[in-house]
Amino acid sequence: MKADPARIVAGVRWRSIQALWLRHAVALKRIWKVALTWYLVEPAVALVAVGFGIGRLVEEVEGGMPYAIFVAPGIIMASAMIHAIFECSWAVFYRITGGFYETALTAPVTVTELALGDVAWSMTRAVLATLSVGLVAAAFGWITSPWAVGMLLAALLVGMEIGAIGLIFAALSPNTHTLSLVFTVVATPLYFFSGSFFPIAVLPDVLEPLAWVLPLTPGVHVAQGFAWGELSLTHLWSALYMVGLTAVILPIAIYLLKRRLVT
Amino acid sequence: MIRGRNIVKRFGPTTAVNGVTFDVTRGETCGLLGPNGAGKTTLMRLLSGLSPLTSGELAVAGYDVSRQGRAVRERLGVVTQQDGLDTDLSVRQNLETYGHFSGLSGRQSRRRADEVLGFFGLSDRAGDEIDHLSGGMKRRLAIARAFMTEPDVIVLDEPTTGLDPQGRNLVWEKLAVLKASGVTILMSTHYMEEAATLCDRIAIMHVGRILDAGTPEELIERHASAEVAQVRMPTTASAGIRAALAASGCAWREVGTVAHVLGRNGQRPQIPPMGGVRVTYRPGNLEDVFLAVAGRGLGAQ
Repeated sequence: MKADPARIVAGVRWRSIQALWLRHAVALKRIWKVALTWYLVEPAVALVAVGFGIGRLVEEVEGGMPYAIFVAPGIIMASAMIHAIFECSWAVFYRITGGFYETALTAPVTVTELALGDVAWSMTRAVLATLSVGLVAAAFGWITSPWAVGMLLAALLVGMEIGAIGLIFAALSPNTHTLSLVFTVVATPLYFFSGSFFPIAVLPDVLEPLAWVLPLTPGVHVAQGFAWGELSLTHLWSALYMVGLTAVILPIAIYLLKRRLVT
Repeated sequence: MIRGRNIVKRFGPTTAVNGVTFDVTRGETCGLLGPNGAGKTTLMRLLSGLSPLTSGELAVAGYDVSRQGRAVRERLGVVTQQDGLDTDLSVRQNLETYGHFSGLSGRQSRRRADEVLGFFGLSDRAGDEIDHLSGGMKRRLAIARAFMTEPDVIVLDEPTTGLDPQGRNLVWEKLAVLKASGVTILMSTHYMEEAATLCDRIAIMHVGRILDAGTPEELIERHASAEVAQVRMPTTASAGIRAALAASGCAWREVGTVAHVLGRNGQRPQIPPMGGVRVTYRPGNLEDVFLAVAGRGLGAQ
């Protein structure tokens, strides 16, 4: 039998993943005017409120860094996370219940490929969010290092890992009430306890290790390293932690999606 | 083209398909006729790989559904009962996206979308939102989508359920053209008229089993009669009429205030004269067959 170049590991077809990614891109392009508000207006509001508002009160974080500069990479990653989690939980849930995934699966496509396509799109959205919020922050002068471009790498990792977590909620939720737990249980705690708004070191000693285990913390850490131009080996460990977490979570998510879609 | 042997599908304690064996030959249009809960949709889902078999064998164009699902789906067009349209995309984008999933290139998808839009009379709606289409148009679009890849076999789950007569006729018209072009069709329906209009062969399904299969004429001959009497039953006279029918030895069923009486051995039913009772005769149809067969099937349990 001739090897099919369109196939990659374990019978996964790259072109199916591409097809789903393209579908998402086409859908986003159709609503780009609304999408602009998700990508620019909301994060701009957050940046202004936190940077100018809270930043006035805080003055500076230990080490002499102005608060706005401290908080910018954290807000950017929080925004990337919100996009990723929304895409893979809420949007995937509606594509399941609306019958669209059932349709896709009548084509020569597998559940694994759909999950990978969704994660790829989640990564794309995280990158778009990082770009747009990052540009706003740079315009305010809160991001100065050329290394900050590396935050896009952090966004890819966050999009991948958080997307995989989102898929689990989409696969398990019987209805939108349980689905909303993804925001109460995942998004909100991650938003506030991942070192975005205050250094994790200021947390009580008991909570500090807990905060480091949270999936967004390493993303924020990597983004801060790039944004401030201060990279160390800890950033590499953080990146590896996110890859490792994805390697555990994504297969579980795929298993749960199969259980839901193929009955 | 489709070959099923002893197919069983269980969902926990319930058995949705209970030992079904059937064949659909190339170019044939085969109908699965049965009420809701008969197992028609489950059988269709097994075929399209959306549901794994509990036991038995099922193959499409020689490819085993359980082991070679992807190869099966490369040759099979599926129209699910829910249209499964993507409301985030336009009419044309729905088709093109499905083309991409099926491995068509961007250019191939665009070209093929033009063709199927034209065939299904949707060309001037190509840029529309899905939510702006009528039920009949959505259905046609769902069928058009299944034809993006020019499949040899197409499976349709209740293609006209919920459509108005006009929409239904349009779908029938398109299916008749496709059938004439040599496409193998397996469709489920609970409309007798639909089965009689489109199908070469019909399998009657009831509680997970195929009770009988054959051409519409064969089934009518076997289970009903060429002519069926309709007897009006005014409430005041119903007891007397029932006694008279029972005495005649004919089988009958009552729908509202009308008794439909089958003849014995396919003959015209002999209704004993009953003063003032109106009797009319009509040709036997699949509904008579279905109710006769399903009734017996129920009795056997």
